[in-house]
Amino acid sequence: MTAIPSPLGGPWATTKLQARLTANETTKGLRLLQGRWRSAFVAAAGLALVFMGFSIVVGGGFDRPLMALTLPELMAVAIAQTAALQGVGGIAEEINGGTLEQSQLGPAPHSVHIAGRLAALAVEGLVMAAALGAGFALAFRLHFHLNPAVLIPALLTVADALGYGLIMTALTVRISSTGATVHVLNMAIVFFGGMLVPSTAFPHGVEIFARFVPTTLGTQVSNTILSGHPLSAAWNNGTLPWLIVHVIVLLTLGWAIYVTFMRRARREGGLSPR
Amino acid sequence: MERDSAIELVGLSKVYGRGQDALTAVDSVTLSVPEGQVIGLLGPNGAGKTTTIKMMASLIEPTSGRARLNGFDVSRQRSCAVLQIGAVLEGSRNVYWTMSPWQNLMYFGRLKGLPGPQIKPRAERLLTELGLWERRNQTVGTFSRGMQQKVAIAVALITDPPIILLDEPTLGLDVEAARTVKEWIRRLAAEGKTVVLTTHQLAVTQELANRIAVIRSGKIIADLPTAELLASYAEDQFQIVVAGPLNGLRAALPSGAEVAPDGEVTRVTLPGADTGALHKFLGQLEAAQVPLISVTKAQPDLEEIFIRLIRDGGMPAVEAGATVGATAPGGAL
Repeated sequence: MTAIPSPLGGPWATTKLQARLTANETTKGLRLLQGRWRSAFVAAAGLALVFMGFSIVVGGGFDRPLMALTLPELMAVAIAQTAALQGVGGIAEEINGGTLEQSQLGPAPHSVHIAGRLAALAVEGLVMAAALGAGFALAFRLHFHLNPAVLIPALLTVADALGYGLIMTALTVRISSTGATVHVLNMAIVFFGGMLVPSTAFPHGVEIFARFVPTTLGTQVSNTILSGHPLSAAWNNGTLPWLIVHVIVLLTLGWAIYVTFMRRARREGGLSPR
Repeated sequence: MERDSAIELVGLSKVYGRGQDALTAVDSVTLSVPEGQVIGLLGPNGAGKTTTIKMMASLIEPTSGRARLNGFDVSRQRSCAVLQIGAVLEGSRNVYWTMSPWQNLMYFGRLKGLPGPQIKPRAERLLTELGLWERRNQTVGTFSRGMQQKVAIAVALITDPPIILLDEPTLGLDVEAARTVKEWIRRLAAEGKTVVLTTHQLAVTQELANRIAVIRSGKIIADLPTAELLASYAEDQFQIVVAGPLNGLRAALPSGAEVAPDGEVTRVTLPGADTGALHKFLGQLEAAQVPLISVTKAQPDLEEIFIRLIRDGGMPAVEAGATVGATAPGGAL
């Protein structure tokens, strides 16, 4: 019986293999989504109801200009909530079920696993966000100054939401009660992010605090462009640079926690069912 | 790469926690398992079997010592070492229940770096041979425990790895499913795979393993070929069962014989391997017209040997020879 040689060859072969392994994780994540599409639908419907309900209560009806300002945050919340809840739930279920251990029996490093996992969460969140965004924009004929430049804050907002999801997922590797915290933080994002009331309408001190909350800065930059201003306006008022910093910090922090906790779990036997 | 063993564990230890709370789960385990051997790793709950297997699989980092799989160091060459193994780990789930067997095999095959076209024919063959082909597209969660375990076995074998780690593979299975698993272990052994098997069903181990290592409190207390282990506990005793009491024959028994009335029968144990004494006693029984029920040579099964080993903390010879935790001479087959 001969030993199986390493599939890792030169740098190109390694890169190709890692891309395949990442795609494999993403495919798995999407297949698992197929098994729970009903709960994803219910989550989207819940967000839509909260959004509409608050529009009626706060806006005194469906205030279209107000909805145009809060809809981007609804989409951001959909991605952040999916990334955090499904990220936490998914990894907790894998730890408890034992599949996380099995999924470690391959040559892929931790970064490949988590990148593939986040990509699947991004797809799920984006589908939900696109459905909500398109649905409300068409149903209420909301007006936006569409500009290709909005893709930049949109992508950064997605990355910001995934960074938040990554931190929560990483914490779950070690702290099994993270799921409860996620619900509280998701509520904070809904409130401070600007899904109910635009964050620019908050008192100055509260707005500054809100900018630390994931997705708030992304929505502020997106709204700047969607209201007809150029990207440079967001750069000049400081929101875009701070958004970039926010994204980098969240992703770096999440990745560092994930790698640290996975290594620690391997030392302490924490990958096993609890 | 020059190597002698498929699995080589040298001074492998695992200590959980620190200071006063420190718990030594595995203590300087040294084992060398040649290619093609089926080794049964036995021990009571909490003895360190699963921790040892998980250290082999790189799922738990050893505190000290080294594990090599086909020459690859598990800690330093992890990406190569994990490719050498397929594992069915303890616990109810080794696969994704909301995915189908086919999707699970494609995922775990790709996880090991195999491209899809290489996985498909293997997946087809494994699912067919395990009787799962017709249900390849149904979700695993709808399967019985036995069928789920078959999927787990298929997953472990999808890359045709040379080393198979089986941690309690028959746990919770009904008789038929357990038999299927046993047949597959036998088949893997016939194919020349190296198998590490842990189970509390000692009859399974006695039947399948050609070597047995017993672990207690993290230490290997016995490590011998199965036949040698059984032979070392074979007793030079004959057990005779007769109907009714012995009456006046007690006086005719050789010294050291034990008599134990047991309801309607009497059990007599004759010490020593002297068949002359046996024949003489049987003749006396016949003359006294005491009905004979059975005559057997005492040979404890693996379960009995295991209990004695755990109770005594090792084999008497091992205690005297002082190779606890090291590969016993019989280990290097």
